[in-house]
Amino acid sequence: MSVRGLERAFKGGITAVDGLDLEVPEGEIYGFLGPNGAGKTTTVRILVTLLKPTAGEARVAGYDVVTEADAVRRTIGVALQEAAIDPLMTGRELLLMQGALHGMRGGQARKRATELLDRVGLTDASGRRVGQYSGGMRRRLDLAMALVHRPKVLFLDEPTTGLDPTSRSALWREVRGLNDDGTTVFLTTQYLEEAEQLADRVGIIAGGSLVAEGTPAELKARVGEPTLHVDLAADADVAAARRALSAVGPLVDCADDTRVAIRAARGKATVPLAIRALDDAGIAVESVEVESPTLDDVFAAVTGSTLEGAGRGSSAEGQA
Amino acid sequence: MIVGVARESRVVAALGRRSLSVQFRRAQLLMPTFVLPLLLLAVIASGTSAGRDLREFPEVSSYLGFVVAGTLLQGALLAGLTGGIALASDIEGGFFDRLLTAPVRRSSLVLGRLAGILGLAALQMAWFLLVALLFGASYPGGVLGALGAGALAAITAVGIGGLAIAIAIRTGSMSLMQSIFPFVFVLLFTAPAFFPRDLLTPTLHDIAAYNPLTYVVEGARGLLQDDTSLGDPLLGLAAAVGLAVVMTALAILALRDRARRA
Repeated sequence: MSVRGLERAFKGGITAVDGLDLEVPEGEIYGFLGPNGAGKTTTVRILVTLLKPTAGEARVAGYDVVTEADAVRRTIGVALQEAAIDPLMTGRELLLMQGALHGMRGGQARKRATELLDRVGLTDASGRRVGQYSGGMRRRLDLAMALVHRPKVLFLDEPTTGLDPTSRSALWREVRGLNDDGTTVFLTTQYLEEAEQLADRVGIIAGGSLVAEGTPAELKARVGEPTLHVDLAADADVAAARRALSAVGPLVDCADDTRVAIRAARGKATVPLAIRALDDAGIAVESVEVESPTLDDVFAAVTGSTLEGAGRGSSAEGQA
Repeated sequence: MIVGVARESRVVAALGRRSLSVQFRRAQLLMPTFVLPLLLLAVIASGTSAGRDLREFPEVSSYLGFVVAGTLLQGALLAGLTGGIALASDIEGGFFDRLLTAPVRRSSLVLGRLAGILGLAALQMAWFLLVALLFGASYPGGVLGALGAGALAAITAVGIGGLAIAIAIRTGSMSLMQSIFPFVFVLLFTAPAFFPRDLLTPTLHDIAAYNPLTYVVEGARGLLQDDTSLGDPLLGLAAAVGLAVVMTALAILALRDRARRA
């Protein structure tokens, strides 16, 4: 997927996408991260041929989204926000209809529907109307519908919004499995944890433009190194602890009198070194925690604001 | 070329099936399409049957058999309109976007919906004619006449459906589509749906001449009563087919225009 100088302005002078450049190689899971109104959905709607750009160009699987829209549609699978599924139809009926839309004959469509219902765990519910499905079931069906024709590129627009943790994990497993099978996945999300869990690379969009891009680790490394926090026992000698830990890493200012913090360039690998140093100095420890920069820290650093749902991306990497 | 046509035919059939089956799962759409026209038929047949004694009223075998042509027309109007409402519901709910991301001709999306409307109208017409028959209507035109009248009305439903789809695509609003309901009755009563054209007031008589539905209902009546003095079936067919072709083209253009402006 290749996007160059993409722009989309709406009536009233609102520019939802403003000079966006993207490159997503085949086989990658690309996380498109940003808050509500950042331009994620508008970008996806352009890439799936539902909207036309007002400037720039976009190619999906090598096809231009404007001049070769039909070829793009043959190549992509789409699960848009809020699982737009007719609640009066059954899961199986929807899959059969989707098969027909992609040119499958009856027997072929029925076989594929059965496969997909099994894959997303909806075989038992396949004869029920979708209006009776839970949010997670609807999302799984939405995903199955997007997969009917074995697309090369899968677009998932905020696929887990509103789902409970169990349903979210199940969907993530499915997406990883699809990617393992070679499907390129373009995933928009406003959840940090989702981007960290799934994406090979993350692009952060704000105000319609890409403000940062890289692997989650690369992005976090741009903000700073992890910090190791040590909570001391109540009677511990704080000054001695600071001396001991300063040999492991540079000290970081800490407001709490019973806590000492150092930079932990090696992340969790710093923990045994710190424990050993404190033990050698005879200092009792309550707990140790490594805090890494989060994608929210990255987002704050590049945009000056925070993401909605930031709290869902846990920052604590390891505890002792 | 042939492969492409076969493929698009499958798409149209699948969308038509879906459109029709969903119609029967929406109670709020079944009431106006299958029950309301019969209620109006009951009121008209019992309340205005004395009109048959008027000097200008044509000789017919049964009054119910005469007015049921108006019921067929009303059914056609409501089938078309509810098709437009269902499409507006798809647009509002986002389901139509799913269809737009499929690699199918835009015209197939319109034709699929119209196929559903045609199927619905065919079932309606059979239902109306059967119920009227059970309540004493007679059809001197026989089975062929009844089939012909039903076909005229069903083709008209496609025309009205095309118009409703065009409006739904332009507005994307289900509430606006529902607010069009009263206009159905304007179209119905500016055609000689339940009375001979010659018994209409002069103004309405003149207006009726410009309403294509006039020729449909008169043609259906001519077929049911096997009496071309009541209406010319060929003129009715021309009006129904003309309406269907023009309105289908209008709906396809509306969708293309929507895609162009996206």
